[in-house]
Amino acid sequence: MNGQAWLLLLEGAWTTLWISGVAIAIGVSAGLGIALLRMARIPFLEQLLVLYTSLARATPLVTLVLFIFLSAPMFGINLDRNSAAILALALNTTAFNAEIWRAAFISFSREQKEAALACGMTEGVFFRRIMLPQMLTSSLPGLVNEMSFLIKGSPAIAIIGIVDLTRVTNRIAAVTYDPLPPIIAAALLYMVIIGVLLKLQAIAEKKANRLAM
Amino acid sequence: MTPPGITTAMPIHGFALLRKLVFAGLAGSLMAAAASVQADIAEVKERGYLSVATEDDYAPFNYIVDGKPEGFHKDLLEDLKAYAKDKGFDVRQEILPWTGLLASVSSGQYDMAFTGALVTDDRLRVFNFAPPFASAQHFYVKRAGDHSLSDIASLCGKTAGLQAGSALLARLPELKRMMADAGCEIGNVVEYQSYPEAYADLANGRLDYVINALISVNDLVKTRGDTFAKGIAVSGDGFAAWPIPKKSPELLELITGFMNQIRDNGRLAALQTKWFGEAFPSMPKEPITAVDQFHKLAGME
Repeated sequence: MNGQAWLLLLEGAWTTLWISGVAIAIGVSAGLGIALLRMARIPFLEQLLVLYTSLARATPLVTLVLFIFLSAPMFGINLDRNSAAILALALNTTAFNAEIWRAAFISFSREQKEAALACGMTEGVFFRRIMLPQMLTSSLPGLVNEMSFLIKGSPAIAIIGIVDLTRVTNRIAAVTYDPLPPIIAAALLYMVIIGVLLKLQAIAEKKANRLAM
Repeated sequence: MTPPGITTAMPIHGFALLRKLVFAGLAGSLMAAAASVQADIAEVKERGYLSVATEDDYAPFNYIVDGKPEGFHKDLLEDLKAYAKDKGFDVRQEILPWTGLLASVSSGQYDMAFTGALVTDDRLRVFNFAPPFASAQHFYVKRAGDHSLSDIASLCGKTAGLQAGSALLARLPELKRMMADAGCEIGNVVEYQSYPEAYADLANGRLDYVINALISVNDLVKTRGDTFAKGIAVSGDGFAAWPIPKKSPELLELITGFMNQIRDNGRLAALQTKWFGEAFPSMPKEPITAVDQFHKLAGME
């Protein structure tokens, strides 16, 4: 393990980070959208979303990544690897996030809504100013949990040739025939990434608690 | 990946759906096989480039040093580019891990695999192989200093490591026959996702020996001669060659022409010596397209 190897590992960590980051951003917002649509109970659309959520949660990430990447040329779509990877990760995490958001919806107290409407708030104002902030704080642990799962599951995208953090360890070990040092280094980098994520969660929770007082 | 309490009914439900998905996927890929228009030369020319899939962890064929491609194929790619330029198109290299590589080539993401793929019966159903560029007779590797392993009979009952889905695994029956002739049976066979893991397990004693192709074994022993030692051949002859989808016969012809050119001008022998430590002058000069032909060339009765 020389300086160059560390540089390659950091490059891999960056790839893992930005691809997972984009997928998480899409997943959290699309998950909220799907949860809202499902709570609206629109016939046909609801069944469709239930089917999507079940399918996406039941499909292993590696299978999904390969399926999207390999089936793209069949439909005449020119999908590059990064887009295929982001699409697959986002499809996967959106389904889980939608369930987390939905749980927050279901557990939201009716009394607050009645009180808000009695005060003359419209449904939109009530959602924006009362419901969403509380949903956010109650969902945050679940969402961050799912984010950390996604980051740790992201080596699945290496199967279509993206050089993420785990793939870099394979590349280094393929030349040195000594896999342990790069794997330990990669584990350290994963821990740093997840550690930062958890720290951000703690900060956000602190801030939310202060606002709620 | 599920928050507790929400998904208790999942397993049964999920399994049924997964099965449906698998069927849908199978139907999809069958349709793709039947309907897809493969990129044969006409399409390559129209597109302006030939896309070849290479690997990143397969020394000395294709590997990465300090973030840059290195190896036999990296050098040969320059020649292929020059050859293709005369024919009016460019060559683009894509780097993939082996696990997804052949599937990507057969599905049409890439035109051909430009790496040390070994010829097997199963692969010949989907791919034609360009004239081989290296021998791939299978050898076993043991720990350096392990004197209990020598001839075939000494391997009997010992634990072997191989790559899952590999050509090495496909030709294991030959070793089994050799062992039967020696009056014994093969021991446990452990399959690995890739060879570095198998070597690590050999080094720490979980395996007694690992089987790999000649060139890979030579490269391993060259780099880690302190830990590993080369054993004897455990199969008949084998070939490393480039797989080209059966649907692209014109491309196969073009690549055969390329092989003829580099064989005649001595470039092939030079690169073989540089990367593999020896030239292979007795390799077949025609492409391998059928199982019978492969068996005859490899001397598998």
